[in-house]
Amino acid sequence: MSDTPLILPIENPVLKVSDLHLYYGDSEALHGISMGFPARQVTALIGPSGCGKSTLLRCLNRMNDLIEGVRVTGSLQLDDIEINDPALDVIGLRRRVGMVFQKSNPFPKSVYENVVYGLRIAGVGDRAVLDEAVEKSLRSAGLWDEVKDRLAESALGLSGGQMQRLCIARAIAVNPGIILMDEPCSALDPRSTARVEDLIVELRENYTIIIVTHNMQQAARVSDLTAFLYEGHLVEYGPTKRLFTKPLSPKTEDYITGRFG
Amino acid sequence: MTPRVFQRNRRWDRLARWLISVGGVGVIGCVAVMLLLIVWMALPLFGKPHATEVVPAFTAPAGTPILAVGLDDNAEVGFTLGGDGFFQFLELRTGAVTARVPASPRAGKPGVKLTGVSAGRHLEYALAWDDGSWSLVRIAFRSSFETGRRQILHQVEILAEMPAAVTMPAGGAGQMRAGEKGGAVLVWLDPSGATFQVRRSVVKTDLLGNEETAMATYEIPVPAGSVTAFTVDLAGSTLYAGTADARLLRWNLGDDRAELLEQVRAFEDGRRITALGLVFGDVSLAVGDDRGGVSTWMPVALYGEGSSRRMELIHTLAAHASPVVEFPFVQSGKQLLSRSAAGLVRLDHMTSERKLLTLQGSQSLDAINISNRGDHLLALDRNGLLHLWDLDAPHAEISWKVLFGKVWYENYDRPALVWQSSAANDDAEPKFSFVPLIFGSLKATFYALFFAVPLALMGAIYTSQFTTPEVRGVVKPAVEIMAAVPSVVIGFLAALWLAPRVETAITGVFLFALILPVAFLLTLALWMAIRNTRLAKRVGRGFEFLPLIPVLILAGAAALALGPAVEKLLFAGDFKLWLFHTAGLRYDQRNSLIIAFALGFAVVPVIFTMAEDALSNVPNNLKAASLALGASRWQTVWRVILPSASPGVFAAVIIGFGRAVGETMIVLMATGNTPILDASPFNGMRTLSANIAVEIPEAPAGGTLFRLLFLSAVLLFLLTSVLNTAAELIRHRLRKKYGQF
Ligand SMILES: Nc1ncnc2c1ncn2[C@@H]1O[C@H](COP(=O)(O)OP(=O)(O)O)[C@@H](O)[C@H]1O
Ligand SMILES: [Mg+2]
Repeated sequence: MSDTPLILPIENPVLKVSDLHLYYGDSEALHGISMGFPARQVTALIGPSGCGKSTLLRCLNRMNDLIEGVRVTGSLQLDDIEINDPALDVIGLRRRVGMVFQKSNPFPKSVYENVVYGLRIAGVGDRAVLDEAVEKSLRSAGLWDEVKDRLAESALGLSGGQMQRLCIARAIAVNPGIILMDEPCSALDPRSTARVEDLIVELRENYTIIIVTHNMQQAARVSDLTAFLYEGHLVEYGPTKRLFTKPLSPKTEDYITGRFG
Repeated sequence: MTPRVFQRNRRWDRLARWLISVGGVGVIGCVAVMLLLIVWMALPLFGKPHATEVVPAFTAPAGTPILAVGLDDNAEVGFTLGGDGFFQFLELRTGAVTARVPASPRAGKPGVKLTGVSAGRHLEYALAWDDGSWSLVRIAFRSSFETGRRQILHQVEILAEMPAAVTMPAGGAGQMRAGEKGGAVLVWLDPSGATFQVRRSVVKTDLLGNEETAMATYEIPVPAGSVTAFTVDLAGSTLYAGTADARLLRWNLGDDRAELLEQVRAFEDGRRITALGLVFGDVSLAVGDDRGGVSTWMPVALYGEGSSRRMELIHTLAAHASPVVEFPFVQSGKQLLSRSAAGLVRLDHMTSERKLLTLQGSQSLDAINISNRGDHLLALDRNGLLHLWDLDAPHAEISWKVLFGKVWYENYDRPALVWQSSAANDDAEPKFSFVPLIFGSLKATFYALFFAVPLALMGAIYTSQFTTPEVRGVVKPAVEIMAAVPSVVIGFLAALWLAPRVETAITGVFLFALILPVAFLLTLALWMAIRNTRLAKRVGRGFEFLPLIPVLILAGAAALALGPAVEKLLFAGDFKLWLFHTAGLRYDQRNSLIIAFALGFAVVPVIFTMAEDALSNVPNNLKAASLALGASRWQTVWRVILPSASPGVFAAVIIGFGRAVGETMIVLMATGNTPILDASPFNGMRTLSANIAVEIPEAPAGGTLFRLLFLSAVLLFLLTSVLNTAAELIRHRLRKKYGQF
């Protein structure tokens, strides 16, 4: 028991975080996080509200740049590039690290245009390529059969669950290696949630997925690894099954047994 | 919540909803009432003319055949002129004869008779006596209050006498015009129709004050055809003749000879010209033919200024069913009175080509006279009955064609779209085309928006998407304060401060428009090169505009400094002169560029504020979604923010458009207010709104101009409301397409 580390070291991580500190102005939101994310696995970030899950996730594709007064120290290694390098081509990074948001946010465009948006801005204009990407992404997102006849219609006419899956399709259309998901099911009804969860499990074949959730059942259902964050600290990180059944840290145990959060 | 609180809230809700509905409906109601009121003021423009017989027809004074009739301005006193040379004055309401006055001392002598009468100016008659002599007489009416109530007094004035001459035996037709100091000219047509005789009496006063009358007579041979109708202008200096083979001839009547100015074939289809008359103003010639056709002609320099003038067909009016026999003189505007052989009388308006009234008596009307103001007509029919009509043909000069189409005005060489509501003399033809005014409104709007829309939209995009909330918090209120500047102040500054400065530095202004983008691009290139240096990093995100401010100032200074040199180099030292010589364009100080700046200044805040709101209201999560997909900030703005905000941005531009179209004070002050149809940026315009402001003080209430100004207000109202409605519809469709922002 004592030889099991609190923070599971990952071999050959696609993404490696070392001593990551993040400050919103003067207040420190992440206090030195170090962890690796394995390829083609689903990693869940859990923890009570406000513990820094979203903040950590946003570091991974530099979306924190959009927030005023954010300062980040430490290193974030994607393969061999340093994400935290100020000279980094953020656009290239974001093409490799896709993101799905808590509240589905399709563009007020057609279903088709939503899916190909990332390709279009990357300069892809070939109709055949786009058509293929649409079908492939929508199939991967399990949405093809439902929307194949209404590709030209506005995406805003889809149901909530369909919209969220469309956002996933949109993210995978640019073929990122990694997909970040920030509580993707929190606004969905149980049926839609189940579909998205199934989808995550399927996507695991081809993508590295990092998902934030405060629903522990969900983490247990979809993830291979789970990281427990608490007040900006990474408390425990390990295989999901083990973490939920035999948590090493008392804080983790308190959390998963529902004593707080 | 307890049921009572709940109920009370419900009551408040209902009250509030009711108040809001009442307010909304009230506002709509007010606007509708306003529109109704201005429509109401404009509506009489399209009233139908009508004529009513004031009194039942009554028998004319008995006696010799009646050769002419006439009436005073108030249609109270009328007269007849008999073949015995006596005027008989009568009260028109009762038919009672009040006086019998000889037209000349000659009248009343045994055996003396009139062989003919021709009417000239209003109430002026050339009388042909059977001894071959001629008299020119005028009836003068004046009001007197001596007896305590108003009385119309009459007087027969003899203007000129012309003794008989062997060359002009009794029986030919003649027209007489008064000259200076009792002089006169008589134009006499030989009964054969082949020659005219012109006699001119000139009264000369020598040093001792003795008057001496000199007579000059000359003959005018008619080159071809026989004359069937002729007329002389009021000054007695131009003779017009029409022939049986439809030729129109025009002579200049000199002191001792006539000069044939032209002869043209008016019709090629075998018509005979049967009547000629001059429309008030002596420019247009009315031509009547034996098929009842009525047209007007005037001399036009067809081949540009200075080329010789030729009679051209200008207006064709509705035709009579029988040959036209005369065009009695009308002194009220460009109306045309014509009488046909069948004794029908018609009133038309020349400019608008409107057929106003057709009058007929129980029998053919033989002698007619229209009052000075054109509101009454006295006519004698073949049964010897006198008819008195009250004529009401208001705003006869207005038709849709006049308002919106090209009209060939007097003294114009081609049909034109002109607004010129008033002129120095009352025989001028008013020109009421709305087109130059609408054009002016659109021109001002176009130039203003050309300047304001890019500026306001770019500003809105930058402020809402690229800069920091702090900067936005300063910029937005500052721009909104711009909107609070009264337009009088903007107009005043533009007219008196800006316009002269732009005029002197016009080359610099253009140079600035050229240098600024270049300087901007250079700065950008430089920026890209140094963006990763420490110095550049110190310029925070959202403050990128700061290094551009010196660039702007330097570019401006450079443009102004280089202006004179460039002007010397390219435009031989004087741009305005160069412009005039090479492009033929005049440079007015208060021109469309000034309007672009001034009106643009007024419109920028409107567009900026609304567009900025629309852009800021695009939810951040769309922006985030786009950025997370690897879009740059520009791509995000261009592909997501702008389309999503397009309904609002579009509405902003349209509201700006509406503001520019309706703006009055700035265009009033900062343009020359000349209603020209010219898109050149170097001259001004007159807009619909400024026109109302300029002309309403001079428009008598109820008059044509007054009502036309109301009509133009309706037009302005419709223009803006149609625009706004269209904008709202498009916005609705965009919103459906792009969601709720
Ligand atoms: N934009 C922001 N500005 C300032 N503080 C923030 C911002 N976003 C999050 N925080 C703070 O950072 C901490 C972590 O927040 P977050 O990452 O959103 O937590 P979680 O996603 O786990 O609920 C919280 O204390 C929150 O108040
Ligand atoms: Mg969160």
